[in-house]
Amino acid sequence: MIRPDDGALTAAAPVAAAIGVFGVIYGAAADQVLGPALTVVSSVLIFSGAAQFTMVALLASGSTALAVLAGVAPLALRHLPLGAVVRARLPASRRRRALLAWFLIDESAGLALARSAPVERTLAVTGALSYGAWVAGTAAGVAGASLSGVEALADALFPVLFVGLAALTSSNRSAAVRAIVAGVTSLVLLLVWPAVGVLGPLAVAVAVASAGRAT
Amino acid sequence: MNLGGLVVAVAAVTVGSRIAAIALLPEPRGRLAAIVDRLPAPLFAALAAVSLTGSDRGSGDPALLLAVGCALVSTRWRSLLLTVIAGLGGFLLGQALF
Repeated sequence: MIRPDDGALTAAAPVAAAIGVFGVIYGAAADQVLGPALTVVSSVLIFSGAAQFTMVALLASGSTALAVLAGVAPLALRHLPLGAVVRARLPASRRRRALLAWFLIDESAGLALARSAPVERTLAVTGALSYGAWVAGTAAGVAGASLSGVEALADALFPVLFVGLAALTSSNRSAAVRAIVAGVTSLVLLLVWPAVGVLGPLAVAVAVASAGRAT
Repeated sequence: MNLGGLVVAVAAVTVGSRIAAIALLPEPRGRLAAIVDRLPAPLFAALAAVSLTGSDRGSGDPALLLAVGCALVSTRWRSLLLTVIAGLGGFLLGQALF
């Protein structure tokens, strides 16, 4: 399934590197809340920076388990539109799709949709590399590693990456207009109402995609 | 619920939503398929806004804004690698300037 001879590794490497840096930050932060072993186990089992940072932040502020689950569930909802887009371009059996689901993160889905290579291969290569980087980064953070020099650069990578993915998936003028409308509206919404979280921009994206007729 | 149980529960929610999205839910058809077909560009633009405002540096950070600006300008060449290089270059320039 993984044949890294089509540029998939090259495309995935910077993304995985940035994810690894955030893994170090997560490992250092979560260690204080979960302890070293459970911190690494959480990255092995969950593989979601958004969910894990939310979990640790809520636990650190004294939230109950129910409040943590209520905070994580809306983040998981982003997988539904993301998965629907990937699913439509993934000609694989249900069992194979269930295995690939492990690698469904924003970045792997984005690269898979933006590249001309088969979705399955890019999703698997990017996902596997990102997963390894996330777990290794977490373990390094627990062990006391510090990457203060590159943390800021990693912080800048994700907005830049999503801008690039939005541009690459804008296959015509209509799609580009939809991307601009969704991006600007989401930005304004998040600045005016930060508590709306990721659900607001997701709703904006679906609403913008629903408007008008296909081109 | 102990911490170990909570980690497993969060994993179940997160991984379960991935599996449901990609393996269990039926393939979109009709109008829903058309919407899903148009979804990638606005979805990634929305996620760009999420990652920009969610940054520890804050969405008003000049270096971050310069990074996004450079990335936007570079999109005319339709190369993800070029966009990443332009964006990170803009960020480093912003850090040096501001």
